[in-house]
Amino acid sequence: MTQLQVLPGLQEMVDSLVKIVTSRTFLEIVIFPGLLNVLLSVAFLTWLERKIIARVQLRIGPLYAGIWGVLQPIADFVKLLFKEMISPELADVKLLMLCALGLMMLAAAPIVTIPFGEAFVIANMDIGLIFVFAVMSLFPSVLLLIGWGSNSKYSFLGGLRSLFQQVAYEIPMWLSVLGIVMLTGTLNLAEIVRAQQKVWFVIPQVLGFAVFFTAALAELERTPFDLPEAETELVMGWMTELSGAAFMVGFMAMYTKFYVMSALITTLFLGGWLGPAIIPEPIWVVLKTFLVAVVIVTIRGTFPRVRVDILLRTGWMRLLLLALVNIVVTVILIWLGLGWVWRV
Amino acid sequence: MPDMIFLALSAVVVASAVFALEAKELIYGTIGLGVSLVGVAGLFMLLGAEYLAMFQVAVYVGAVVVLILFTIMLVRRESGRIVDEEEPASFGSVGIYVAALVALAVAGAVILLAPVSPVAPEFYQVQLQDLGRSLAASYGVALVILGLVIGAAVVGGLTLVKIDREEKPSGTTE
Amino acid sequence: MALGSWSLVAIFELVILVTTVSLLAFGWLMGAKGKNPIRDAPFESGQTRLGEARLRYMMQYYPYLIMYVAFDVIAMFLFTWGLVFATLPFAQEYLFLIFVAILVVPLWYALHISGRRDLW
Repeated sequence: MTQLQVLPGLQEMVDSLVKIVTSRTFLEIVIFPGLLNVLLSVAFLTWLERKIIARVQLRIGPLYAGIWGVLQPIADFVKLLFKEMISPELADVKLLMLCALGLMMLAAAPIVTIPFGEAFVIANMDIGLIFVFAVMSLFPSVLLLIGWGSNSKYSFLGGLRSLFQQVAYEIPMWLSVLGIVMLTGTLNLAEIVRAQQKVWFVIPQVLGFAVFFTAALAELERTPFDLPEAETELVMGWMTELSGAAFMVGFMAMYTKFYVMSALITTLFLGGWLGPAIIPEPIWVVLKTFLVAVVIVTIRGTFPRVRVDILLRTGWMRLLLLALVNIVVTVILIWLGLGWVWRV
Repeated sequence: MPDMIFLALSAVVVASAVFALEAKELIYGTIGLGVSLVGVAGLFMLLGAEYLAMFQVAVYVGAVVVLILFTIMLVRRESGRIVDEEEPASFGSVGIYVAALVALAVAGAVILLAPVSPVAPEFYQVQLQDLGRSLAASYGVALVILGLVIGAAVVGGLTLVKIDREEKPSGTTE
Repeated sequence: MALGSWSLVAIFELVILVTTVSLLAFGWLMGAKGKNPIRDAPFESGQTRLGEARLRYMMQYYPYLIMYVAFDVIAMFLFTWGLVFATLPFAQEYLFLIFVAILVVPLWYALHISGRRDLW
């Protein structure tokens, strides 16, 4: 008799598990715009980058893995999984693994607040923008720990450079968005997109857009700010001593951050899911995000690298001043009575 | 339900703080401090102060812990271990008694002075707009003075570093 | 209830955690194994390891970290203020502008110093 009593409890559990797994939220988290979207976009971004850089440099890029080399990221993925995860002597392997894991979790976190449609956001937070900032502010410490934990000169120097670079460009990035916050009066990313129905923020906040874009390039450690990863100087910067699956996780984290930052630029300045209704809203977001990504990749192929002290000084002095000027411009806009255009 | 989360967060805060104190490597201790501060941010969120929790993470874990880490990594001896900590705390040390006294006093105050309510207090989420308006209205001048203080702190910090470097490549004027 | 969004964030982070840990575990188990001292040496472009790795590299940029802490706190107040800016009476809007203007002073000072020493 006792055996039959176990079964109803199990049945309930299975029922509730099935209900959770097929609920819209869970599907959103795991498929789109969550995990699967992030993984596929990261793979696509690596392919896109290699193709565009190749064309800029008058080469062809990946060609053999699938049509136009589209399956190249899959090939890299499989290859890296089977490579040896070299644990260097003197390095703190547990710390490295933990930090690589933390990096991936931090990089993917902001995607929950980015709206992919009118009611299509995983977690509609009223302080969504500040959540993104808080998550981004945790990156420098993790990079510093990876650089230090590797106990190798290239890694440590790369980690330090990453730390200072990202710390320097964090503040201009935040202050450049303050103009948008002042115009819309909300920190909710979905509301910010809805406020752009008449005019996208890239037009009145063109200075803020320029500052945010530049600071985002520095946060992503992409050329012209890729000094922490300067291949001719530091091999791979803080990633030098990671190999195999750990390197893959670190690499994925970098490109996840790239994807999330592009999506953030789209949401804040380019109108998110707004556009003519012929194309469904999530596709608009994806299209605009990849447009931003293409621009960023082309910039990588075009510009030389910036020296470290110029880099830090530009971030702290010039970009900060421009962000403050943007705030003053926004104040003037509001005083001229134009604030109603973006009020939801 | 909030009680369980509260207990879990408090356990995280206390446990990581203890770990931060007892860790052999200073770096691990700092990571423990970071985890503890994130736990405190979680406690802020339970109290309804989401905005404060986010900036707690951004300022403390994102800036102060980074500062501590940087200082430890660059200004220390070879191994990072505290060599002179061989002696464990003996029962004659004053610290334990002071800590026990403080704990008793706080516990007594909480038990005696807190109102006995069988119902959990209502969860109130602080509205950020109200916070902003009241900050601007009642504390506007105080915030400007705060800006002056922080500006002075930054200028002071820069000046301190300036004086430290005695070795100048060429004779620069002050 | 606002706590609902945070549990979604937690679930998402859990999903990412599970994925990444399984990738790392797979790599650890299936990866090639060849522990010998040459492979495990830290990378120094072919030479054997020479000297300590954790030296005092970028010490001269320490003030930037101090400035980061200060401006982080200021950003907190700026966002609180800026959120309700459009609804404030004029006097408080002027206060906001004065606050922003005060911030320019340490920036100007840092710019002034950085122009006069070549260690910055």
